[in-house]
Parts: sequence; C-alpha cells; structure tokens
Amino acid sequence: MDPNWNEDQPIYRQLRDRVVAMMLEGALKDGDALPSVRNVAAEYRLNPLTVLKGYQELVDEGLVEKKRGRGMFVTEGARKQLLKDERQRFLDKEWPLVAATIARLGLEAEDLLKMIEQYAPSDAAKNGEQDD
Amino acid sequence: MTSIVSARNVSKRYGSTLAVDDVSFDIEKGRIMGLIGPNGAGKTTLLKAVLGLTDCQGTLSVLGLDPFRQRKELMQNICFIADVAVLPRWIKVAQLLDFLESIHPRFSRKRAEELLSKTKIQSSSKVRELSKGMVTQLHLSIITAIDARLLVLDEPTIGLDIIFRKEFYGNLLNDYFDEERTIIITTHQVEEIENLLTDVMFINDGRVVLDTPMEEVSGQYVELMATAENAAKARHLNPIYEKDVFGKTVMTFEDVERSQLQGLGDLRTPDVADLFVAKVKGATP
Repeated sequence: MDPNWNEDQPIYRQLRDRVVAMMLEGALKDGDALPSVRNVAAEYRLNPLTVLKGYQELVDEGLVEKKRGRGMFVTEGARKQLLKDERQRFLDKEWPLVAATIARLGLEAEDLLKMIEQYAPSDAAKNGEQDD
Repeated sequence: MTSIVSARNVSKRYGSTLAVDDVSFDIEKGRIMGLIGPNGAGKTTLLKAVLGLTDCQGTLSVLGLDPFRQRKELMQNICFIADVAVLPRWIKVAQLLDFLESIHPRFSRKRAEELLSKTKIQSSSKVRELSKGMVTQLHLSIITAIDARLLVLDEPTIGLDIIFRKEFYGNLLNDYFDEERTIIITTHQVEEIENLLTDVMFINDGRVVLDTPMEEVSGQYVELMATAENAAKARHLNPIYEKDVFGKTVMTFEDVERSQLQGLGDLRTPDVADLFVAKVKGATP
C-alpha cells in the first residue's frame, strides 16, 4: 500500500495527520502502540528521520508518549482531546460557513435533523456521546 | 560531525576525458545519500574511487582510510552492489554462503539464512535457476548480512519490476539501515527513493552541481507556475530554469524568497526529478 503524499505539506506533517485520523476513527486507541519507526519507514520507503519527526510532532502535542525502550504509545485521553479540538475547530471554522448557507437557503432545523439521521447513522452519534 | 566519506578536489581522468572534475563533498554517518546524474556524468567513476577500485587525484578519505591504498582494511567495513551485479551462475546458494563465511570476517551466515528464509530462494538453488529479481534479493540478503558501516548501491534495482523495487528498499530500511550506518545510492528511478534520502547530490559532466540535505531543498528552491504576463515579472528574479506546461510558464528559482514570488502564481517545492532537470538543463543553456 502506498500513501499518496501531496506536495502541499511536508511528509512528516502528513504522517502526523494520518496518525491523528487513525485516532479519530478509533483505529488507534488510547494506550495502543504506534508502529515502530523502522516499520513505517520500510513500509512507506521513507527516511526514518522523517517518520521520527512526524512522531515527535505528536509527542509535542501530547497525543503520543515515548516509553523508554518500548516505543511510542497513544496517550491516555488523546482521542478525547482530539475530538474536543476537532469539534471546536468545526464550530469555529466550518460551522459559520455551513450556518450561512443554511440561512441563505432558508432550510429549517426539522429538515436538517432528518438528513442527519440519513447520513450519520445513530451508532456514530452514540460513539461521539460515549467520549464526552 | 563524523564524516564517513570526505572528498577534497577529487579528479579522475581517463585519457583525454575528465570523468570526475575537482569534486569536494562530505557524507556523514547515518545519512542516506542519493547520487543522481545522467549517463556518463561520472557517478560510477566516483563510486569506484570511493571503493578504492580506481586511483584518483586529490584527497579522498573513506572511514578514515585512503580507499585505494588501504583497500583491504576498507573492504571489511563497506559493501557494494554494482549495476552489473553478477554472482557466478553455477554457484549454489549454500556454496555462496560457505564462501562468504570463509572470506569475510564480518559476514553472519545466521543472519543471511534468516533473511533468505523470508524469500522463495532455496539454499539448494543455483544462481542460474533464479529470476533476476531473486538474484537481486539474494545479493541484498548476503550484503546486509555483512556488518558494514557503509553500503554503496549503484543502480541496485535496475531491470526489476516495481514490486521487487519497492520490496528492495523496504528491506533495506528494515534489515540494514540504522543511525550507525551510511548508504550511498545511485538510481535513475529517483522518484521512487527521494523520500528515503537524507541528502541529495547531483553530478553532471564530472562536477557536483548540487549537494544538499533534503530538508533544505524547500528553503532553497521553489517552482512557480505563472501566466505569461506574471512570468515576465518573475523573470526579473532570475529563474535558473523555465519551461512551458499547458500554456503556463513553470520557473525554478534558487535562493529566492517565496514572499517575493507571492501573487505571481502557484508555488511549490520541486521534487528531486524536477530539480535535477532544472539544475542540469539550466546550467547548459
């Protein structure tokens, strides 16, 4: 499997985003070990320093911790923290645009709720609640 | 800083041809250096000098040794896969391991067998019965079973299909590389390895035209895609190379602040292949 790196951002940053996405999806849970630098480097044919730099970003953000001689682990509460940040970001950055569109089109809350049921299955909604 | 390879004013002449022309560079421990150049640029000659396979002018030090005069000592600590990598066709894999065990003090048979057990190569197979990809696998397995500090790969994956090529580099990182070791690679398939390099060196007509850590490329070089009108403005900043793509002009700049180009078009960091064309073609107008 080959990830499609884009040219807009350095690869270590894209690697960091990929790990964050895995945490949000629940593929990496609190306390889980991250794959070793060597494995990721070999799998994606990346320089190990690039992988290390990506992991270091996560350490600096407090989402991952280094355990001496054992590797990198997802910090307890990392997913909760991420969800909180992502929700805030959505509300600050994306919601105003969505809200403006809703207002412009004159959509009613009732119509929107119906659509939420259709597009976001209720188990996803439940997942979100559990983390609160 | 620990220089594994240090070259000062190294030249090599074959008759009237100057194959390597006054080259100076350093490669430090733990780096993966990509040596990139067109055919006949002097890459292989330079590698031969590093390996002590050819004499040269100037000062060349590899692992603190003079490669040509102290070749025997050097060979204990370096490994090499040539673009013309040949293993005797009649030899059995087991015999090859016997041979290496008898001549190389740093060869680990156990390690080689471990690596080979992950492939389809049988110890009873003869080299001539193996596919080209398997021969390269065999070669890499025995080379990485040698505890060497410097590995030189000259077009190691030439003629291999994409799956073998990817596997080759994956195995290289998994089974061989660590921060105590250093690798020099030449290849024409630069886009396949650029993300695994720490440094890149371009060589053209025997001269080094670029030698930089990968992480500094984005600070030194920028590519601008501009309309004809904006291209005229950008031209004042002296691009090192320009070409036309889909009616737009693509220009490569060296040591020009991105802020100076802001608003003139799309900016991006050139990849190694693009940069290579810019440096080599831009130098020969």
